[in-house]
Amino acid sequence: MSKYFSNIFEAVSTLLTGMGITWRHMMNIRKDNVTLQYPEERWPRPERDIGFDFDNYNVIRSRLQVDIDDCIGCMKCERACPVQCIKIITTKSGAKGEDLPDINHTGVTSNGTKKALIVSRFDIDMTECCYCNLCTYPCPEECIYMTGGPNSHKHPIDYEFSQYDRNELIYKFAKDVDEEKLSKYFPRKKEAKA
Amino acid sequence: MTVDQLINWLPFGTDWPVITFLTAVIICALPVFLFIAVYALVAIYGEVKISSFMADKVGPMGQGVGLHAGKWGLLQPVADALKLILKEDIIPSAADKKLFVMAPFVVFIGAFISFAALPFSQNTIIADMNIGIFYILAVGSLSVIGIILAGWSSNNKWSLYGGMRSVAQIVSYEIPAGLSIISIIMLTGTLSMQGINEFQQGTIWGILPNWIIFNNPFSFIAFFIFFISGVAECNRTPFDIPEAESELVAGAFTEYSGMRYAFFFLSEYAEMFVVSGVSVTAFLGGWNSPISGFFNSPGWGVFWFMGKTLSLVFVMIWFRWTFPRLRVDQLMSICWKVFLPFSLLNIFGVGIWILIAG
Amino acid sequence: MGVVHGDLMTLNIGPQHPSTHGVLRLKVKTDGEIISEVEPIIGYLHRCFEKHCENVSYEQVIPYTDRCDYIAAMNNNFGYAVTVEELMEIKVPERVEYIRVIVAELNRIASHLLALGAYGLDVGAFTPFLYMFRDRERILDLFETLCGARLLYNYIWVGGVSHDLPPGFIDAVYSFLDYFEPKIEEYNELLTYNKIFIERTGDVGVMPPEVAVSYGVTGPNLRGSGVKWDIRKDEPYSIYDKFDFNIPVGAGKMGTVGDCWDRYFVRMVEMKESVKITRQALKGIPAGDVHQTLPKKIRPPQGSIYKRTESPRGDLAYYIVSDGSPIPYRLKMRSPAFTALSVLGEISQGWMMSDVLVILGSLDIVLGEIDR
Repeated sequence: MSKYFSNIFEAVSTLLTGMGITWRHMMNIRKDNVTLQYPEERWPRPERDIGFDFDNYNVIRSRLQVDIDDCIGCMKCERACPVQCIKIITTKSGAKGEDLPDINHTGVTSNGTKKALIVSRFDIDMTECCYCNLCTYPCPEECIYMTGGPNSHKHPIDYEFSQYDRNELIYKFAKDVDEEKLSKYFPRKKEAKA
Repeated sequence: MTVDQLINWLPFGTDWPVITFLTAVIICALPVFLFIAVYALVAIYGEVKISSFMADKVGPMGQGVGLHAGKWGLLQPVADALKLILKEDIIPSAADKKLFVMAPFVVFIGAFISFAALPFSQNTIIADMNIGIFYILAVGSLSVIGIILAGWSSNNKWSLYGGMRSVAQIVSYEIPAGLSIISIIMLTGTLSMQGINEFQQGTIWGILPNWIIFNNPFSFIAFFIFFISGVAECNRTPFDIPEAESELVAGAFTEYSGMRYAFFFLSEYAEMFVVSGVSVTAFLGGWNSPISGFFNSPGWGVFWFMGKTLSLVFVMIWFRWTFPRLRVDQLMSICWKVFLPFSLLNIFGVGIWILIAG
Repeated sequence: MGVVHGDLMTLNIGPQHPSTHGVLRLKVKTDGEIISEVEPIIGYLHRCFEKHCENVSYEQVIPYTDRCDYIAAMNNNFGYAVTVEELMEIKVPERVEYIRVIVAELNRIASHLLALGAYGLDVGAFTPFLYMFRDRERILDLFETLCGARLLYNYIWVGGVSHDLPPGFIDAVYSFLDYFEPKIEEYNELLTYNKIFIERTGDVGVMPPEVAVSYGVTGPNLRGSGVKWDIRKDEPYSIYDKFDFNIPVGAGKMGTVGDCWDRYFVRMVEMKESVKITRQALKGIPAGDVHQTLPKKIRPPQGSIYKRTESPRGDLAYYIVSDGSPIPYRLKMRSPAFTALSVLGEISQGWMMSDVLVILGSLDIVLGEIDR
C-alpha cells in the first residue's frame, strides 16, 4: 500500500523536476541559442564558442583544388587515393625546365623545381572523393590541397559547390591541350589506371 | 450574445421560426469557426516556437516580411495551412469511401459544438444552458465515433489498431474527468457554466480569489485529475501512443492527407482549447479577475478567460516536449488504478467538507 | 464448442523507420499485442568493406574503417592501428598513445550521447535528444580543429597520428570537460530518473547474464546485465593500464538486473568515467614526436593476428592476415553491434509491440557496423 503512494509521490516530483529544466532552458533562450541562420550567417563563425581560435586549425576538409602550374606529374596523389578518384595522364616533354607557350606549359614550378612531364589530364571526381585528405600529404610541390582554413592564402574556402548535373562535379584541372600539338613531344604516354 | 437573444432580435422571428433559428445559429457559429481557425494558427505557431525555445534553438525565423517565414517566423503557420490545403486528396481504393470521408467531419463536430457552452465573459456565451457542463462532457465524446470511423474505413491493419487504442484511451479517461466535475458541482449546486462562474466571484478571507481550486484540498486534487484526463482525451503526449510518430506507423490517421488531415489536426487543437476552457471555468474562476473588485467588466472578462485558457494550453505544450510517452497498458492502469480511486475519494471528501464547513 | 485457433500475425517494420538506427528490417510475429518472434533482416547497407580492404594498401584502409561504425570513427581507426602495429611489432611514441586515448575517449562520449539521445527519441521525449546533440556538437567542433573533419576522421594512422595537437587544444578540451560534467546531472534529472521513462524501460527486455554471454554480447549491453568485463581493464591495450577508472555495472536499481534501464544507465555512467580518463590523460601528456619513423610502404611480416579493443558498442576486433605485401591479404572486422542485434529475438519475447523499439534502442546498434 505504501508503495502505491510512494510511486505517485515519486512520479509527481520527477515530472515536476523535468518540467523545471525545460522551463529554465526556455527562459534562457537568448543566451543558449545554438542556431546558425544560414545563409545570412555562414560557418566559419569566429565567435562560435568552442574556446578555440579558428586561425589555429590544423587542417581542413573541403573541396580539392590543384594549382596545375605547380604539378610535376609524379602521380603520387593518384596512388595515394583509396577510392581512385584522381585520374592523371602525363606526357614526357622533350625540354626539361623550359616553357612551352604553344601548349601553355610552364617549365618551372613556383618552388623552383624543373618539370619534365606535361600533364594533359588531371581529373578529380568529387562525387567519388571521400575527403580523407590522403592525397595532399605525398605531393612534393604542395599543389593539391583542400581549399580554405590553413590554405586560405592559396584559395578561399569553398564548401558550397553543389551542381545540378553530376558531370559538372568532375573537376578538370589540366589545361586544355590539343592532341596534335602534344604529339610533337615524345609519343610515350603514361596512362592512368582505368 | 446568445442564440436566444438573437432570435428575439431578428425581425422575422414569429413568422418563420425555422429560418430564424437557422439564421441565428449560423450567425453564432461563423465567429466560432473563424475563432477556431485563427486560434489554431496561433497554437501551431506557439507550439513550434515554444518547443524550439525549450530545446535551445529558435525555430522558424525570418529577417522580414516576405523573406523565408516572415519576421520571427510569423508566416510559418500560414505556410503550413496553405500546404495542407494544396495537397493532393488521396483516398485509398480499398477504403470504405463514405465512412472515410465522413470521419474527419464527425471528429470536428465533436470539438466544434462544445464551443457553444464556453463562457467567454458575463454576456458572451452562445447558449447559456442550465446543463452547460454536462452538455460539454457529453458532446466531447462524439469524437470517439469519428476516430473509430477513421481507423476502420482506412482498411489498414495498423490504422484499426491505432484507432482502437485511441478509443479505449478516450473512453476510459472520461470517467475520472466526469467524476472530478461532479465533486465541484456539489459545491456550486448548479450545472450551468455561468452559474459556476458566478459562484466563484468574491474572495476567501479577503485576499485569495474565491476560485474552486482554493476552496478545499479535495478540489485542488480534482483540478489536476481533470486537467490530466483532459490531456489524455486530446491524445497529447505523454498519452499519444495512438498517433505517435516513432511507434511503427502513424495510427488511426495514416491514410489521410491534405485537408482531411488538417481537419483532424484542427479538431485536436480545438479540443485542447475546450478542455482548458472547461478546467478554467470549473476550477480557476472563468472570467473572474484574480484581483477581485478590479477589472471586472465584460471586456476584461474575455481577457481573463482567454488568458487563463491559453496558459493552460501552454502547459499542455510544455508537457508534450518534456516527457516520454506511456505505453498503452500503463496508460490504462494509471486511469483505472490511480485516477479513479482518487476522484471517488474527492467526491466523498468534498461531500464531507460541505457538511462540516457549511 | 471448438477451440478458437488464432494465427500469429506477421508485421513488417520496414527498412525505413523513424528511429535513427539505420536501414534495418524486422519481421515480427505477434499474437495480438504480445510478440512471439522477432527476426532481423540485414544487408541493406552492405558496402563490401572487407573486399575493398584486399585491394588497397594498409594506410589506405583507414578511411574505410572510419565508415563502418560512423558514430565512433576514432575507435575504429584506433583498433585497426593497434592491430597492425602489433603485427609489425613496432612501438609508438608516448605522446601518440596519450593523444590516441584522449581522442578515443572523447569519441566514446560523443557516441554515447547519440545513443542516449536517440533512445529518448524512441520513447517519445524530444528535448533530451536535442540537448545531447548540442553537447555532441562541441565535441565535433574540437575534432574539427584537430583534423578538419567532424564525423569521419582518418586521424589515427599506423605508427602515429596524422597531425599533432594544435595550440590551445588542451585548454579547449579542459573547458569542454568542465562544461560537460554538470550536464550529465541535468540529463539524469530530465530523463533518467523520470518516472514515465522508468516505467517504460525498467523491467523491460531483461537479458540475463547467461544469455548475454552465450550470445557473445559485449560492451555496455553485457555490463548492463551485471557481468564486469571491459577490455580496457581485462586485456589492456595501448596505455589504458596507466589510468584509474571504474567499470559501471548494471545492478537492477529500477527493476531487474539486465533490463533496458540498466543498459541506459551504464552508458550514462561510462560517460562520466570517460571524462575522468580524459582528464588524467590531459594532465600526463608528454611532449614528443607524433610519428614513428616507418618505411614508406607498410609491409608487415607474414602472419596473422586477431586483436580486440573496446569501442563504445562493445568488443571491436580485427583479424588481419598478411602475406608480406603492402596490401592486406584478408581483413575481417568483428562488429559488436552484430552480436547485440542477434540477441534481440531472444529478449523481446513476451513483450508488447511498443516494446520492440524500446529494446532495440537500448542495444545501441549502428547498421554501418553490422553490414559493413
